[in-house]
Amino acid sequence: MKSIRNSVVRAISATLLLGGGWAMGADDLPPPLPIEPTGIIESLPAKYPERWFLVHDAAFFGMSDGKVYVIDAAAETLGAQVKGLFNVVLMGNILQSAQRSEIYAMETFHERGTRGKRTDVLTIWDQATLSPKGEVVWPKPIRFMGMPQQYAMLVLNDNRWLAVANFSPATSVTLVDLDKQEIINEIATPGCVFTYPNGPMGFNSLCADGRFLSTELKADGSVKKQVRTEPFFDSDNTPIHERTTVIGDTAYFPSLAGLVHPVDVSGPVAKVGKAWHLVPENERGEKWLPGGLDLIDSDDLGRFYVLMHPDGSNDSYQGGGSEIWVYDPTKKQRVGRIPLKAWGLALGVSRGKEPWVMVTNPTDMSMEVYDGLTGEFIRTITGFGQATPLTLHGAR
Amino acid sequence: MKFLDTLFERQTRQLAQRSSRRGMLKSLGGLLVGGAAVPLLPVARASAAESAQRPQEEGDETACEYWRYCAIDGFLCSCCGGSANTCPPGTEMSPITWIGTCRNPVDGRNYVISYNDCCGKSVCGACLCQRDEGDRPPYRSDKTNDVNWCLGTSSAAYHCSTAVVVGVAFEDQ
Repeated sequence: MKSIRNSVVRAISATLLLGGGWAMGADDLPPPLPIEPTGIIESLPAKYPERWFLVHDAAFFGMSDGKVYVIDAAAETLGAQVKGLFNVVLMGNILQSAQRSEIYAMETFHERGTRGKRTDVLTIWDQATLSPKGEVVWPKPIRFMGMPQQYAMLVLNDNRWLAVANFSPATSVTLVDLDKQEIINEIATPGCVFTYPNGPMGFNSLCADGRFLSTELKADGSVKKQVRTEPFFDSDNTPIHERTTVIGDTAYFPSLAGLVHPVDVSGPVAKVGKAWHLVPENERGEKWLPGGLDLIDSDDLGRFYVLMHPDGSNDSYQGGGSEIWVYDPTKKQRVGRIPLKAWGLALGVSRGKEPWVMVTNPTDMSMEVYDGLTGEFIRTITGFGQATPLTLHGAR
Repeated sequence: MKFLDTLFERQTRQLAQRSSRRGMLKSLGGLLVGGAAVPLLPVARASAAESAQRPQEEGDETACEYWRYCAIDGFLCSCCGGSANTCPPGTEMSPITWIGTCRNPVDGRNYVISYNDCCGKSVCGACLCQRDEGDRPPYRSDKTNDVNWCLGTSSAAYHCSTAVVVGVAFEDQ
């Protein structure tokens, strides 16, 4: 093998010498490139920079090929923007724990691709190496599988536990000890889905009858108490989006009709505050409504961003929007409008004092990046192999 | 949704959950046969009588605009080797589904449509159709199309979606 390689090197060198001979003599050539080692694998910082994003490509046209790209939105060239990827098979969900430098992915595999025994597994990815550092196999294949959600998983108990939503369609939450990488408990959440925050030792789930089911846990992971709140919406007539963003101890849930419901999630029971309108009164004739897949996110300045579209209806709530509206929830006021160059289907916001917003353009599945403070368009990021980047996470 | 009796929808869904696909279709077939045997109105002309006794619908079932697809979000099985109410060869129909309520423009009735997914092969990729009328987020599991409904099947691999008529919806009183 070595002799073959040396021969190839000699042949290439000779070719280069002959080819370059017309321009300069051999003595004028710069020194040859050094022989390079093979087998070097890149790694990433244990803490991701502020303007990195996790771009979840659910691969809607090839769900077994789902993946998450790590993208540096501040870089100007494609080669510098793409930092790496990891797989999330069959419409999985992800969650990052910056404190543990880990990313959690719920995946599903069949023994023979699309057939054979099904295994649901939590894969724990190392943020620096993008390699799996652990797995927790579900005893029953019941994990929530659908369009990616931000709150199908939740870290709690000071990042020691992970709560994962199940849907079979019976609903429950599986609790994982992240240090031991083993399941502690499965907690039934009848009629209620997902894992929204609820203080340090609990989670909230959203119910079909318009309530929260607040679950409080004991130190051993067993249920201390489960409380159903009073209904605050009607899922037939005044439905809300299941997507939310959490600022401090308050989660903001937009409704399909354009209100936002603030919910105190400091625990142990969700407290729903008075809803306020996202659309200023004098603009309501234009029928602006919140819409999109991942339509809401927030920044470290305490503001939240919502994809909005005009001429909306109850059935347009997943369609995306032509603008991003920015709110200061302490004032219950819109503080900015960002008209998009194209259309937006999902958004994510970077952390830090100068946040950037990344938006999925559903017409060509590119991502556009905007300055969250000024609304200025920064760049389009595309062409890195993405198919359907439906969920965007600002790296924590 | 405002036209419908939600109780009836719940009953339909419970039926769908309890029954095997074959059992459910058999029951519905019995209902349809029974319905067809009762003339709706006395009519004078033979051709009109024949027409009135036969359930009717029209449209291109490979088109997203087809009436049954009002709440759908997925690849149409009618473009994948199946039809509006059958799965392509070698796939498996999910016995657990979400439902929508769509108006048949031919007879003016609202029907409960069960969007059973066909499972066990990779995504069909043809005729992607998203209409979402009456669709709700996943907290309303009976009315959400954002979930992979390949549940209760041997494979969770989603291939395409059907739109099976499972009943006539009653209007709110």
